[in-house]
Amino acid sequence: MSNKREREKRREERLQEETKVDSGERRTRLLQLGAGAVFLVIVAVVVLIVVNGNEDSGGDAQNLKEVSAVDSLVSGIPQEELVLGDPTAKVELIEYGDLQCPVCKAYSEEFLPQIIENKVKDGTAKVTFRNFTIIGPQSAPAGAAALAAGAQKRGWEYLELFYRNQGKENSGYADDEFLTAVAKGAGVKDIAKWNKEREGSKFTDEVVATTEEAQRLGLTGTPSFAIKGPNSNGLELLGTPGSPEEIEDAIDNAG
Amino acid sequence: MIAMKLPTEATLRRIIAFVAALGIGVATYITIADSGGGAPACLAGGGGCETVANSSYSHIAGVNIAIFGIVGYITLLATAFFANDMARFVGFATALGGFGFSVYLTYLELFTIEAICQWCVASAVLMTILFLLNTIRLVGYAGTDGGRVSEEADSGAEPA
Repeated sequence: MSNKREREKRREERLQEETKVDSGERRTRLLQLGAGAVFLVIVAVVVLIVVNGNEDSGGDAQNLKEVSAVDSLVSGIPQEELVLGDPTAKVELIEYGDLQCPVCKAYSEEFLPQIIENKVKDGTAKVTFRNFTIIGPQSAPAGAAALAAGAQKRGWEYLELFYRNQGKENSGYADDEFLTAVAKGAGVKDIAKWNKEREGSKFTDEVVATTEEAQRLGLTGTPSFAIKGPNSNGLELLGTPGSPEEIEDAIDNAG
Repeated sequence: MIAMKLPTEATLRRIIAFVAALGIGVATYITIADSGGGAPACLAGGGGCETVANSSYSHIAGVNIAIFGIVGYITLLATAFFANDMARFVGFATALGGFGFSVYLTYLELFTIEAICQWCVASAVLMTILFLLNTIRLVGYAGTDGGRVSEEADSGAEPA
């Protein structure tokens, strides 16, 4: 009897010992795996940061792209300041944007051409760009530069060409050299006048004023759209529409 | 060996669940605020959140990075409900990944976007806390089974 109990006790001890060894091994393996994961994550973060630092920031003043594409997009359409389209058009679509904003670039390349083609060229609507500078210190001078180009009826060429050559936000690309290259590419005739005006208080103040206006309207992101027409409820906010068709529908409803 | 008293695993799991739930709240708010093309509202004014939410880094392949945050926090919350090695390791790995990503994003905010969004900082802080808690959990309780173990760890017994 005591022998049996003895055996059982030994057996239990052995089992406990095995479990202990087993859980010890499991623990070691897990901690090794964990240490490996820590190492991998450190490497990944360092690589991401290094790659980010070396990435080409774009915005090449020496080599502007799509000058002719922009020209054919807006040529022949009347424009005044940063309003594109027939000044008597019943519907006004207003874009609050920042020239440094990558989402605005996407809208300018993927949404606006369709709107311009279908709604602006036929005189149904006009599109107004208003600066809502939120990205960084170079956003406001860029906005004033567009306004100064608008004073020479080249505002929309300026906006579109800027977006098509936009660099990485706040990488410092939007300097005087880049702004001037865009002005030349956009066909601004009197560069000296443009230079004087873009730094003058008229346009720098206007950039501040439209940014404050956007904030007053409660807008928090760029681009944000608003619409005004005979059938709209005053100035109606459209937010950031998900497709060009959505904007076209809004124009139809407001007109 | 003078060991600091380790909290029981149950306590750790409770705190992890609580912090992960806070994280889900923050990440969900950022996602909803951003979905209308807007941005989270900065508590102290200023345009930090607008700048960050409108930067090209706020989306990966068209998906708002806050969505990745929600998924991470939900995973962490789920791991708090189980007391086994699988949950301990998945919790640790998720918190580690989230922490690494937060480090990268905070670097971007400081040096590339040059704007700080308090909501993103809040998420980074929560993720850091979760990383620490999950590290303590893994190191303290890996290889043990559920509740029984914590007594052993509490008594300062070292398994090997």
